[in-house]
Amino acid sequence: MQSATIPIKSLFLDDERFRISYFFSLDKLIQSLKHIGLVQPPIVAHRGGHTILVSGWKRVMACREISLSPLPVFVLEEEDDLKAFEVPLFENLAAREMSLLEKAEIVLRLKKFGEGEETIVKRYFPLLAIPPTLQSMDTYLSIAEFAPQIKKFIHDKNMTLVTAQLISELNPLERNLVIPLLEPFGQNKQRELLEGLLELSRKRRIPVEKLISSQKIQGVLSSEKLSPLQKSDQIRELLHRNMAPAVHAWKDTLDSTLKKLRWPREIVVSPSPYFEDNDLEIKFSAKSASDFQKKLSKLEDLAAKDDFPGIFPPYDDD
Amino acid sequence: MTMTESQFYPKKIYIEKQSLSFPLTKKILKKARQVPVEVIKNSSELIERLNASRDPVSEGKELLLLTRQSGEFVKPCPCTPHHIGCNYFIINSAMNCPLNCTYCILQHYLTNPLVTVFVNTDDLWNQLDLFLSRQRKRILRIGTGELTDSLALDHITEHSQECISYFKKKTHVLFEIKTKTVNIGNILKAKPAENIIVAWSLNSPIIARDEEKGCPSIEERIAASRILALKGFRVAFHFDPLILYPGWEEGYAWTVHRLFREVPVSQIAWISLGSFRFPPDLKPIIKKRFPATQIIYEEFIRGKDGKYRYFKPHRLKQYKTIMDFIKKGRGGAVPIYLCMESRNIWKEVLNKKPKGKETVETLISLPFGSIR
Repeated sequence: MQSATIPIKSLFLDDERFRISYFFSLDKLIQSLKHIGLVQPPIVAHRGGHTILVSGWKRVMACREISLSPLPVFVLEEEDDLKAFEVPLFENLAAREMSLLEKAEIVLRLKKFGEGEETIVKRYFPLLAIPPTLQSMDTYLSIAEFAPQIKKFIHDKNMTLVTAQLISELNPLERNLVIPLLEPFGQNKQRELLEGLLELSRKRRIPVEKLISSQKIQGVLSSEKLSPLQKSDQIRELLHRNMAPAVHAWKDTLDSTLKKLRWPREIVVSPSPYFEDNDLEIKFSAKSASDFQKKLSKLEDLAAKDDFPGIFPPYDDD
Repeated sequence: MTMTESQFYPKKIYIEKQSLSFPLTKKILKKARQVPVEVIKNSSELIERLNASRDPVSEGKELLLLTRQSGEFVKPCPCTPHHIGCNYFIINSAMNCPLNCTYCILQHYLTNPLVTVFVNTDDLWNQLDLFLSRQRKRILRIGTGELTDSLALDHITEHSQECISYFKKKTHVLFEIKTKTVNIGNILKAKPAENIIVAWSLNSPIIARDEEKGCPSIEERIAASRILALKGFRVAFHFDPLILYPGWEEGYAWTVHRLFREVPVSQIAWISLGSFRFPPDLKPIIKKRFPATQIIYEEFIRGKDGKYRYFKPHRLKQYKTIMDFIKKGRGGAVPIYLCMESRNIWKEVLNKKPKGKETVETLISLPFGSIR
């Protein structure tokens, strides 16, 4: 590679064929550039009469932001895109961990530059810490094809591969509809909501788009009283109820029986998970012997009521 | 390909170099002489290559690997934590299966996707001799149908014949061949013995058609079992997995009715019932391999063993309904057990409270007490 100095404006940044990072903050780098200047020159190459950037997008963007020009650069003479792409790839691999989206961009570019599927899987996936399978390749390629706003959301929310994979099961329109619902959630709830939508869609054999436009979901979404988090939570609950109507019906019956019995809040009733066992756990704490006696006698009163057996699952006793 | 149209022949046979000289290898090569063969140094690279493919399970179903079992052939059935087992033992003389059932646990369970036959059968018989000599105080149940279908490869391995001739002398052992196929040619050549049981997995006709791809229909399975029963063989039936879908009652009623119409009840050694259950990691595999299936979108809960199961009232209803069908079909006297269920489900469905797997073992093998 030759070193050179070029005006920043001479770089043709519309050609992003070697770019793998799209979402980054420039603040710290700008501070550093102002303080010590550009220490590590970007790498450029000549393509179609233009000087294009091979590596150092973040540095160039930051330099452009503070009008730092001319720039010291290394000029890569390699004309083959695949071989040239190895420069930013290995440079970055040596320096840092790749994000989910960067990995997706790398896989897409390797494919576009003509690298064979088997070579991508065998040679590059171990370097990228991706399971070496064609299934993984398909997943990353589908993520790389997401619209920019979806990619930005994945970046901003630090979304996991599993959740991104679920998003890939939606069509582009559905993705745009779902993103606002996911916005208030952390990773676990995002995943739960997506799984709920996809499974209900498959169970009912109706598109996710139609599910979201259903009266119930739209009712929640149009509510002025609810915060975005409350809206998303209610939709998640709605999906849950639709996927597990019987479990919810049992929970509702227990709750209404406890209500009928005027069950005191300080005595906690917990059925076994999903009512698998007959046993109920009845828990309370006592501050003193008299408090303990008081709660026991309250329990005795409750046990004498006609509705009391209704709190137990209606299975045969062991 | 279904087993009714033709018997399974792989697209290619891979043989590990060290497995070339075994008699079973030679037998298989002779029986499948039209199939291309490749001798490989060891299978790890092949398995790795296959696992890197888009659908290792489907690709593996078309390939046969002949190798040695370097571990133990005989193992206790792992059952599932927090549920009642039945003290069953499994013989792993082969693994994987050319049949293509939606719900098959092997899709997730096995890291080697190839249909694999372990050809060092002398080691199997030696290990069995040793194992059985230590288990003389009880009637033992053992079978070959856990990690594979016992008969799917039988026309090229003739393993059933060897097993039958080995086990018929071991009168304290109930040996079970478990299948969904009608590949009974080799069994028909053998003489029935009291302790040899040929079992079929049964389901509703709709589930068999939609979710058990490559398998014979329920009519065909029952017809095959009838042939063996009339020849004097003991037969058994596993309604497992029982699946909930709109109209399941009619589907299972039809199967139970057909079973008792065709098969003399006196020849039925046992019937097991097992509700559909699967580890969470199997779900994405099913979603991907069988995008049209609906069976994974029912109402599931996470059981104590971490597996997805139907909500208990739904399981109970299905078990009780099928028990009614069985009783109405004159099957009330047949030993019936539940596979991987909790004690309270046993109590509600069968009115039995097994203390543990030994109780279940006794329940199933009691009618055979006299053969000891």
